[in-house]
Amino acid sequence: MSSLYLILYVSYIMKKKFKKIIPFLGLLLLLTIITSCSSSSEKIDFSTQIKPILNNKCITCHGGVKKNGGFSVLFKEEALANTKSGKPAIIPGNASESEFIKRLHEEDPELRMPYEKPKLSDEEIDLLTRWIDQGAEWGNHWAYSLPEKVDVPAFTQEAGFDINTATPFIQNNIDNFIAARLKSEKLTPNSPAENNIISRRVALDLTGLPPDQKLHQAFLSGEISYENLVDSLLSKKEYGEKWASWWLDMARYSDSKGYEKDQGRSIYQYRDWVIKALNKDMPFDEFTITQLAGDLLPDPSIDQLIATAFHRNTMNNDEGGTDDEEYRIAAVIDRVNTTFEVWQSTAIGCVQCHGHPYDPFKHEEYYKLMAFFNNTRDEDMPSEAPVLKFYSPEEEQKITQINDWIHKYGDQTVAEQYKKFIRYAEPVHNAHHLKNIQNGAYDDHASTVLWDKGSCKFENIAAEGATTLLLKHRSAIDGTTITFKKNNAEGEVLAQTTINKTRGSYILKIPFKPVDGRFDLYIETNNNSVAKEVNVINLYWVALLQDLPGKDQNGYAAINKTLTNILNTNTPTVPIMVENPAFMKRTTQVFERGNWLTKTDTVQPETPKTLNPWEAEWPKNRLGLSKWLVSKKNPLTARTMVNRVWHQIFGRGFVASIEDIGSQSDAPSHPALLDWLALRFMNEHNWSIKALVKEIVMSGTYRQSSESNAELYQKDPHNDLYVRGPRIRLSAEQIRDQALAVADLLSPKMYGPGVMPPQPEGVWQTVYSGEKWIESKGEDRYRRAVYTYMKRTSPYPSFITFDGGSREVCLIRRTVTNTPLQALVTLNDPVFLEAALALAKNQQLATNVDQSIANIYEKATYTKITPAKLAALKNLYNNAYDEFKNDEETTAKPFFHLKKKPSTELAALTIVANAIMNLDEFLSKA
Amino acid sequence: MDNLETLIQEYLQREAQAKTRRHFIKNCASGLGGLALSSIFMGCDPLSTQKKKAKITFSERDLNPLATLAPPLSPKVKSVIYLHMAGAPSQLEMFDYKPVLQKLHGKDCPQSLLEGRKFAFIKGTPKLLGPQAEFKQEGESGNWVSNFLPHFKKVVDEVAFVKAVHTDQFNHGPAQLFMHTGSARLGRPSIGAWATYGLGSENQNLPGFVVLTSGGNTPDAGKSVWGSGFLPSVYQGVQCRSKGDPVLYIEDPDGISRNLKKSTIDAINKINKEEYAKYADPEILARINQYEMAYRMQIAVPEVMNINNEPENIKQMYGVEPGKESFANNCLLARKLVEDGVRFVQLFDWGWDTHGNIREGSIDLGLRNKCREIDRPITALILDLKQRGLLDETLIVWGGEFGRTPMQENRGNKKMAYLGRDHHGDAFTMWMAGGGIKKGASHGQTDEIGFSGVEGQVSVHDIHATILHLLGFNHEEFTFDFQGRPFRLTDVEGEIIKDILA
Repeated sequence: MSSLYLILYVSYIMKKKFKKIIPFLGLLLLLTIITSCSSSSEKIDFSTQIKPILNNKCITCHGGVKKNGGFSVLFKEEALANTKSGKPAIIPGNASESEFIKRLHEEDPELRMPYEKPKLSDEEIDLLTRWIDQGAEWGNHWAYSLPEKVDVPAFTQEAGFDINTATPFIQNNIDNFIAARLKSEKLTPNSPAENNIISRRVALDLTGLPPDQKLHQAFLSGEISYENLVDSLLSKKEYGEKWASWWLDMARYSDSKGYEKDQGRSIYQYRDWVIKALNKDMPFDEFTITQLAGDLLPDPSIDQLIATAFHRNTMNNDEGGTDDEEYRIAAVIDRVNTTFEVWQSTAIGCVQCHGHPYDPFKHEEYYKLMAFFNNTRDEDMPSEAPVLKFYSPEEEQKITQINDWIHKYGDQTVAEQYKKFIRYAEPVHNAHHLKNIQNGAYDDHASTVLWDKGSCKFENIAAEGATTLLLKHRSAIDGTTITFKKNNAEGEVLAQTTINKTRGSYILKIPFKPVDGRFDLYIETNNNSVAKEVNVINLYWVALLQDLPGKDQNGYAAINKTLTNILNTNTPTVPIMVENPAFMKRTTQVFERGNWLTKTDTVQPETPKTLNPWEAEWPKNRLGLSKWLVSKKNPLTARTMVNRVWHQIFGRGFVASIEDIGSQSDAPSHPALLDWLALRFMNEHNWSIKALVKEIVMSGTYRQSSESNAELYQKDPHNDLYVRGPRIRLSAEQIRDQALAVADLLSPKMYGPGVMPPQPEGVWQTVYSGEKWIESKGEDRYRRAVYTYMKRTSPYPSFITFDGGSREVCLIRRTVTNTPLQALVTLNDPVFLEAALALAKNQQLATNVDQSIANIYEKATYTKITPAKLAALKNLYNNAYDEFKNDEETTAKPFFHLKKKPSTELAALTIVANAIMNLDEFLSKA
Repeated sequence: MDNLETLIQEYLQREAQAKTRRHFIKNCASGLGGLALSSIFMGCDPLSTQKKKAKITFSERDLNPLATLAPPLSPKVKSVIYLHMAGAPSQLEMFDYKPVLQKLHGKDCPQSLLEGRKFAFIKGTPKLLGPQAEFKQEGESGNWVSNFLPHFKKVVDEVAFVKAVHTDQFNHGPAQLFMHTGSARLGRPSIGAWATYGLGSENQNLPGFVVLTSGGNTPDAGKSVWGSGFLPSVYQGVQCRSKGDPVLYIEDPDGISRNLKKSTIDAINKINKEEYAKYADPEILARINQYEMAYRMQIAVPEVMNINNEPENIKQMYGVEPGKESFANNCLLARKLVEDGVRFVQLFDWGWDTHGNIREGSIDLGLRNKCREIDRPITALILDLKQRGLLDETLIVWGGEFGRTPMQENRGNKKMAYLGRDHHGDAFTMWMAGGGIKKGASHGQTDEIGFSGVEGQVSVHDIHATILHLLGFNHEEFTFDFQGRPFRLTDVEGEIIKDILA
């Protein structure tokens, strides 16, 4: 506690106890305060007083990127070290001798710092001077220190804060924090929102949809409490669908691979996994570990493997002529950056090329982080290998037979090897690693082709005692001999077989002579029956495994055949993370200035020094890293999550820059509440996202009315102080889903491949790809937005118009815009027209137009219509009705998406429904 | 649409009054908080170079994100027309004349050029391929133009050539992204998005950034080459199509008259105004504005996209084919759009990838046809803008995503069916014309066979820095904060190409 606070605190105690001597004490205190403020002995705080000056005025030239004059103020050891001049610029305890201070006073513009920028203010120079005189102590930025236990501010009635308004406001502890701040700003909170409004608001926030009528009415009638309403909404399956969109933006989930070809990718099982995990409220620590390292958990389940697709959402480049290694590295870099953006609110990407310009992360630390991710099997292959295969129940039965056989006759190692190979066909040596190709060529991106007398080799591989070779290949020609030799053409023959015509690609199983240690696998092809330059084989990969055990047992031939069949079965798949076995490990090197071709020092996996320490029991791999992230000693993870969940609900975070919590981010609006919630999220809610969400929406802060008037609005224009409830435009997904929901068109169907609702002709026009947008039939036209097929280079038009991302890279925050193109979508997109028609039809009454309009309005907005609004809409109805009536022959003409116009009454009512679905109140949550 | 103006005026006035108070709160009352800005307007002030962004208040821009803004420096042009030849045209058959390469035709490429190098498709030792076009020095400037471009030579004195541009990307997708967003990876805003973000639009009835494609395909890198990246989506390019709705959803649905659409928008806005009275949320005012603009766009866009009403001599001049998707049509449209105040017009013409694997992709036959398709329209565009006095306030940029090799391609180590050249990023030609450009200039040179730049080498970032300069921006100070750091179109590089500036 600083001295000033201490004095005020003492004064407060004194006031209570010794009312009579206050005049005297008051004088004394005043004197103390004056002397204390002007005294140079007051302790300067590095983080709040010094670091902001350094960041704003010095660090551009003396930081992580540039170190002009050999001087940097980013790290203590750098700031106190000798500069180019041979002396340190900062001498702790001696400001007057410190060059750093001298230069601030300098008159010569060539010498005065900041160079070519305005002089620092006297106040700033004074602070820096006193800081150095006090010893130039370095502090940790608050974001890198653990949240400390916070006491909930007591709520007391005081002048200027109206208790009558405030009492219903205080619903839980969140409100005490918010109220304390409001009080200090002399503001009072708004009254609670009306029940119909809060019901719609909370349903949209928790499920992405307006509340279903039954629940809504039960709440309005008082049959259930607000808490019951919240609990019901949290338990709905729609909850997971809503919150999945938020997570999938960060996970950069998409149904296509990105880059030039941008072909389809089957990864929807990951999207479904996210929905399920959120619905069952998987604790966030488990949610984290499973996605980052599910494959490294002991005996991982299918679901745990699917979860690792989180980091297979990176793009895959299939363009002709691109280097797979370059794009493999691009994917690994993206994984490092995304992990830090998602869990640590840190733009670690800066450190890829140089030290962080203002946060305490070093260039080398980036590559140490990269080392955690640099050892997975994926290699930017068009096949997206490794992929997890989903077998049918019959196939699963056969797999059980195979596994049982191996367990009976073989050992645990062989059993493990086959179990994994059957699931995801790794580890294999991919064709793009083949070297010295003679009489053949690497056939761009797919395989290596060989002709007669063709040869090539895999260099420096290990067989690890393997006795079987698996060869994935394809051929249009019979009778090619393929020979595998040790090291070179003269080497020992390790395996040999004849390749015949295949239908598509085929995995062949060949006996393999065991080899010790590392060697080159030399491959040659011979077929003298073909002409020159004719492809006799396309070779995709080679794998070396133990042989299937029990060779001399009855039934061996049958089980061996079953195995080959299973390996060659085409199944649905999902790309997953698979770690390299020890004998295939890559080393990680620092890239000079981020250039992957200029590699320097070799590094080992390690986390940045500024953050929490590594614990010895964690393995130095992705599993350890994920545990490090969700360790209660990590200062950023819980704060990051709390900040973002709050942002989802209120449209702003405590730290407004929700993608960046660090020395350059905005200071939190409510630092104590942020830390209180972060600690509670970890320690009391045990990382339950639902509990966190519930706590927030149960608060009086959330339940306030968002109504305002011009004068009041100005007092807190961005609602940073929460003087009213949130009022925010709905997301792209919510806008679609709500329209379908109020029209009773929305399909409740969950999961499965991306669907293709109507989109204009010709939107997809992709180079070198036969893929087409084929409009979904039946209920798939009306699925929730989260199931819409996401193509990176051509996102669904109405989503992108309403600020949905294209999912190319991790997106933490969608910028909310307000554009004319949005109006064109909700006015003219057939999806919204169809919804308007259905809404009108469902609410149409035979006799009473006014009532029909009122019903449509209430069904859409959950609010009773006002006379003025009814008048405006009735006027629109009459205009439409007259126009349609006067032009009777238009009945035979198309109307909206229909071939023939419906009755004049319904057509006019549809126009009204279309207008209602374009109202700001419909497109926003109030 | 009566009293909206008044409402906005009142709003802005109140805002000005309130500013003082907020300023007080920000600086004094909250040592930690400060009134940081809501996400909606985060970083909406492009001219703020300070890290202490976010403290801007509402302005006309918040109600209308395309409101015109003056650039920080004095601009040379108002609009840009960027002509991109997707697939990468061969500089060696168009502008970069290499007689020595002619002499070396058919010889093995020297090993020194191949060592440690990667090409997209060339394998082993390829042969050198002499220019497949004839060259002459044209105009007063005496700049070289090939016989593939018989019309263009008439305007050669209007343009400034940049002959040694280089890029580090040699695949179409990443190279196009790099050329248009300053980064080979997806996710950054395109030049047009930056320009529109920084300057808004001069015409409130049309999108500020319009994209027109021809050649039967969109560019390899997809819509991201005109995307807004991390900038608000309102700044992304709006693709205006020759077939179907020129802008998605711009046409009223069947059965709806213009009058009825007007009644609809009137009703919506009337109710929205009532809503504003209840919530005082300026977003509602912005929405009222946007609905009115949408209504106006529905008329203005089809109008500007219709070239039928242009005089016959103009149509002939460009060689347009109304009703079809063609580069000529797009050039005429580009003129109409900048004439109407559109900030950035981006043309993509697909089909310039001349590997020699197919006839259309051959360096002699296919390329000549592609040149024929652009020769007349580009010449017409320059002359038409000039006769209207628009050339001085418009910048035209022409180029591809990279150039092509002086060697003949030998894909899969085999002889190809036709003559072709592989992708090559070391040195290629681009040109600019219009306001602020030194007419008839030529900057940079390549070596005797056109493999590398030997003088006046220019990077993609330099091109960007120059475009931004002409629009009135210092590229180093034009930033946007995203993922916790300020981003620039030119990343940490870029120098203005002073030699081609008037």
